[in-house]
Amino acid sequence: MAAGEAQVGAPICQGLSVVEIAEDPAGELTGKLLAQYGAQVTKVEPREGSPNRRVGPFADGVAGPDSSLAFWYYNTSKKSLKAELPGESDVLESLLEEADVLILSVSRARQDELGIDLDAIAARHPSLVVCAITPFGQDGPWSRYVTSDLVSLATGGLLNSCGYDDHTIPPIRPAENQAYHVAASFAHISVFLALMERDQTGRGQVIDVSIHDCVAVSPELANPYWFYPKALVKRQTCRHAQPTPTQPALFSTGDGRYVYFALILSDPKPWQNLVEWMGSHGLAADLTDPQYSQVAYRQANFPHIQQMIEAFFLIQDAQTIYHEGQARGLPIAVVNSPDDVLVDEHLVARGFFDTVELPGGETAVFPGAPIRFSAYPAVPQSPAPSLSSPAARSESL
Amino acid sequence: MTAIRGEPGSFPFYGTGERAPRQRRGPLAGLRVADFCWMGVGSVATRLLADFGAEVIKIEDRTRVDMPRRLPLYKGEVRNYGQQDANADPNRGGLFNNYSRNKLGVTINLRTERGRELAERLVAVSSVVTENFAPGVMEKWGFTYDRFRELVPDVIYARMSGYGHSGPHQHYRSYGPIVQAASGLSYVAGLPGREPSGWGLSYMDNMAAYYNSAALLMAIWNRRRTGVGTEIDVAAVEVGVTLLGPILLDVTVNSHTSQRPDYPTGNRLEHPHAAPHGVYPCAGEDRWVAVAVLDDGEWSRLVEAVGSPEWAGDERFATQESRFKHQDLLDGHISAWTADKDSHEVMHLLQSHGVRAGAVQNPQDLNEFDPQLAWRGTFFEMDHHVIGPARFEGFPASMSGEGPDHWRSAPLVGEDNDYVFGELLGVDEAERVELAEQGVI
Repeated sequence: MAAGEAQVGAPICQGLSVVEIAEDPAGELTGKLLAQYGAQVTKVEPREGSPNRRVGPFADGVAGPDSSLAFWYYNTSKKSLKAELPGESDVLESLLEEADVLILSVSRARQDELGIDLDAIAARHPSLVVCAITPFGQDGPWSRYVTSDLVSLATGGLLNSCGYDDHTIPPIRPAENQAYHVAASFAHISVFLALMERDQTGRGQVIDVSIHDCVAVSPELANPYWFYPKALVKRQTCRHAQPTPTQPALFSTGDGRYVYFALILSDPKPWQNLVEWMGSHGLAADLTDPQYSQVAYRQANFPHIQQMIEAFFLIQDAQTIYHEGQARGLPIAVVNSPDDVLVDEHLVARGFFDTVELPGGETAVFPGAPIRFSAYPAVPQSPAPSLSSPAARSESL
Repeated sequence: MTAIRGEPGSFPFYGTGERAPRQRRGPLAGLRVADFCWMGVGSVATRLLADFGAEVIKIEDRTRVDMPRRLPLYKGEVRNYGQQDANADPNRGGLFNNYSRNKLGVTINLRTERGRELAERLVAVSSVVTENFAPGVMEKWGFTYDRFRELVPDVIYARMSGYGHSGPHQHYRSYGPIVQAASGLSYVAGLPGREPSGWGLSYMDNMAAYYNSAALLMAIWNRRRTGVGTEIDVAAVEVGVTLLGPILLDVTVNSHTSQRPDYPTGNRLEHPHAAPHGVYPCAGEDRWVAVAVLDDGEWSRLVEAVGSPEWAGDERFATQESRFKHQDLLDGHISAWTADKDSHEVMHLLQSHGVRAGAVQNPQDLNEFDPQLAWRGTFFEMDHHVIGPARFEGFPASMSGEGPDHWRSAPLVGEDNDYVFGELLGVDEAERVELAEQGVI
């Protein structure tokens, strides 16, 4: 069976009907990734609202279920329905009758508490795609363990690669819910795999997304370094964890900012570009010595080269370094803050940011859609549904 | 065996026997992908398609093989990422095996006209085209969405790049750490008042890859509903910004700048005010445990698990707000308690009391000792003719329907030239020999 009505020229997920029950950002982001592309996503919330409504920061610093910016962020373009769980709830059952997808991010322990039985839901709704996101998976020795973003990054191994050269400092969490974000991306993928399988068989299925697994398959080089040379990578400040220490890649700039630049010594082209660039400021000094054309010589004198680069960047501002370095073909970037990103000329020129009209008539800037399809129109974001005002809620339908 | 199977005489099994292309299973079975991707993002994105049954035909240039073939992740030999061996066997690279499992591999020199003709014939019998070159490279070869549409009217053409295919920085060079720096993701990680600690990995290579996989699946799913193809533009920097999370709205809605001395907050959690919330030392070299206590109920359970020590009764730890305020003191007590304990023992003890806690696991822990990953079979092995048995990261969700179809390790250089050029494109053997001799394939 095919989901809903699909029309040429409509948003790519037009006609897809999704029910979302989310107690963490993983489920909420999965729902948002569908809602942003035209799926009709209905959040089912308890009377007091989803847990994320109680997480700050809050608009104007005033806590309340309709002012959580965490909730706003993950729940644009959805509508909301209040209904008490568990799963036998009539409201939920009738919603699921019409739905293509159920997203459920409720920990395994909480599923037991609420009496949610995935197999029973699937049996009652044989064509439904049930996507359950849990800390460690539906079953197994750790399945009842509880988690948080920090804990999932730790158990999944990603945290082990992140931090400072100084190993008396613990590994440092890359902020802002990334374990949940990784899980959401796999939930998103799984849903479409299951929908395509349903198109062939007519049957839905139960997808069991483990946040722990999602993080464990995502530390990039750390796993292959174990699979092949059996080496454990060690964390290094703001650059790749590697078996042994490497040169710093973060440089201070004249305006008190940082740029990221990792010079690949073995490649002659970036080396020439760098020396030319330094030379254009009269600061190439001895680096123009022909001996430096040999990789071995560059490697032997890497600490000296690094010192020269440090000094070169300290007399310029970060944005100038970024754009001039890139113009000279070097992979270099300013370490942008969230404030910087909002005024980044490239993102602005691409029209990336959305201005979302809030129920009170004000507007707020949100990041736009992460994927652009030439054949399908973008969907303007509507604000996250309000808990208190049914009028506001229906407006956002 | 003819001379055109890869390096003459060296691999008589090339693309034969168990490694011969076969009917695949899964929701993408029957879908053919002309895959121009290389490096990390593109290769990981199309790996997902190959895992679930698509016939992904990876196009490489024999004179410039895919970079992960050359990056030095070898069995029995430890080298840093930057320490390449110029004379290494391209079939020995572990990272390529990791990224290109389940794909077919052909070699085409796209800098030759006959090579480009051959590539177009391959596109014409495919329905999805993928690429992640620097902007302008595909255009230089005459490969545009319009051209592909002439060959396949409902083609899906996925373009994966750092900055996207429009805008003033579209030609900027990027890889994971550049994207992370430019999108704000590096800035938000670190201790207050210090340089950012950022990421010890190309997080955005993975995340951009996952988003590209999802984009392709959405497009394929909808083409099956509507018959309409599409071009896809995913800019990793934009994906990165969407992953910044609520902090971005704190700036846009509250005008609360992120450029302040108390931000970022290291392992401490500002929203909600959690305490303890940190990573604490354990017995052994560089061993740590993460603990997250989000409310008073969790605190009570933590105190019970720790054995209700006297310090826990300190009135400064009585409420969440007060604990949050006195975190330095609290962290000192927690660290003193964890310091002589095994990180997994702490995790299990705290979890048995319903406290969010996890050992900071390294890849050896994940692969050799983690009973949950073992129970779920998250990692798996496949054999490789040059490397031998190798481990892989599996799909992190179990599906009651068709799971992934892992049938073959990564292709050797040009392993499937005979099948693809011969059987799929009908290039006869004499011509294939000639193309090989001329360096076209």
